[in-house]
Amino acid sequence: MIRQIAVMSGKGGAGKTSVTAALLKLLPEVVAVDGDVNASNLPILLTLQKLSESSYYAMDVAHIDTESCTRCGRCAEICAFNAIDLDEQGNYSVNDECEGCAACAWVCPEKCISMVPHCSGTKYLSQLENGFLLHADLIPGEDNSGKLIASIRKQARTVATEKSLDLILIDGPPGTSCQAISSLTGVDMVLAVLEESLSGLSDYRRLAKLMESFRIPHLVLINKTGIDPELGKRIETVVAENGGEIVARIPFDMEIPRSLSRRETLLDLPAYRPVIENLCEKLFPHS
Amino acid sequence: MIISVVSGKGGAGKTTIATSLAHIFQADYYDLDVDAPNGEYFLQPENETIRAVSQQQPEINESLCSACGVCTKECRFNALYKVANHIYLTETLCHSCNLCREVCPEGAISYKQASIGKVRTGHSGKTGARTIIGDLDIGSTRGTALIQDIVQRIDSPGTVVIDGPPGNSCAAVAAIKPADLVVLVAEPTPFGIHDMLQTLDILKDLQKSVVIIANKSQGDEQLTSVLAERGLKLAASIPLKTEHHKALLNGEILSQSDQQICRLLQQAVAAEIDKP
Repeated sequence: MIRQIAVMSGKGGAGKTSVTAALLKLLPEVVAVDGDVNASNLPILLTLQKLSESSYYAMDVAHIDTESCTRCGRCAEICAFNAIDLDEQGNYSVNDECEGCAACAWVCPEKCISMVPHCSGTKYLSQLENGFLLHADLIPGEDNSGKLIASIRKQARTVATEKSLDLILIDGPPGTSCQAISSLTGVDMVLAVLEESLSGLSDYRRLAKLMESFRIPHLVLINKTGIDPELGKRIETVVAENGGEIVARIPFDMEIPRSLSRRETLLDLPAYRPVIENLCEKLFPHS
Repeated sequence: MIISVVSGKGGAGKTTIATSLAHIFQADYYDLDVDAPNGEYFLQPENETIRAVSQQQPEINESLCSACGVCTKECRFNALYKVANHIYLTETLCHSCNLCREVCPEGAISYKQASIGKVRTGHSGKTGARTIIGDLDIGSTRGTALIQDIVQRIDSPGTVVIDGPPGNSCAAVAAIKPADLVVLVAEPTPFGIHDMLQTLDILKDLQKSVVIIANKSQGDEQLTSVLAERGLKLAASIPLKTEHHKALLNGEILSQSDQQICRLLQQAVAAEIDKP
């Protein structure tokens, strides 16, 4: 049985990647996934060796053969994405808003619209000292990030099965929309990283609702604590109301970003190594 | 004049800078980080009115549907599936593309309005200017559609500040497209520099002029040299300070609590606004 755990936050910059990288280094064996495919930062903190890479074709996009087009305009009428332009010569063409639905190809009476493969990123399988990392780079500005995440998560399950590894740890993207949903579906547990601020609290509330709708239990790490005890108390109450359990705290400490700039993890700071060791024990009691 | 504030990396300080710019220029503030909107904690909107935003979604008329399965075969998003002579829709996968309606031989599929979120419009208790907050329904995957809906309706006569979403996918592009000027907030760390470079690729493609501001800085050497390779430079740098963090976590606007930063940001952005 493969166990999947996702590190999420709602708010960006809360500390997901820092915490995930430290946990990954402590685990004896693991398959890791960087779910933040359009700002993929986990590889920056890990020692890895790329084993394979492949282009990612999420969707075909429409292409109009201008030669056989009779300029009837049915394609532009049906398109829900304003992806079909009409130039001054009266020629129709497909712009980069195309989401690949093929509605235009279906309605075209001349059958002059074809669906052609479109690359939207690169997927990588890398070797870690203690396992494997699935990661990806979405081409900046591309659509289909959620699909790309689903694709590398599927690959992670295949790798875990093949190598008889029973743990997948996912470094999630910020937010609570398509990419977050794509990272969350089917996981057994979430570690929510909550930045101790009004913004962090607000985004945690949204994340908690999302997790509740998927019936995924969660543990909470409070990050950047200790500046405002009153807010800290309020956050504790909200976490309890949302069924979370606070399992770790990391204070606001300017040494942490300095250490990250040296590409170190929290394990390299003697003050925080025990915090991560305890957290690891809580998340993975038998590892 | 529309200014979009973006960063690539989350937590770099988009909202910090965007709310400060809204304060400095008395600008209308649009929160387009629709699945994690936080600007309201700083600007404190009052007297908000709410507009519901919906999108067309397929609805299957059971009495007409023969469960032939053509729609499930043709849908390129795998949003429709057939179980035991019934067709079901997975709303989170649907792109509202009209194809299933077209292909259905029984005419059993029509489109109905389904909620994706709301837009709250008010006035900031702190700046007096308007606040327009995009608020995506939790569990909805239509963040980009909500952003586009709000962008199409931008009607502010004066300066507009857009607080964009993190990342470099379609949602970020939707928040960048309407901009006359992009303010790129970069955290001078390996993460921040990596994600900023991807955003710069998008800005180059879209031919947007950009002002780059370093935030949470404990030294800008690496960032400056990466920018220099691309013929760019930093317009301002805001240091990492415990006092700033303390002000922010309680919802203070940075340019209101720190006069020096107010001047710094004003100079960095005003120079670009005044350009013809």
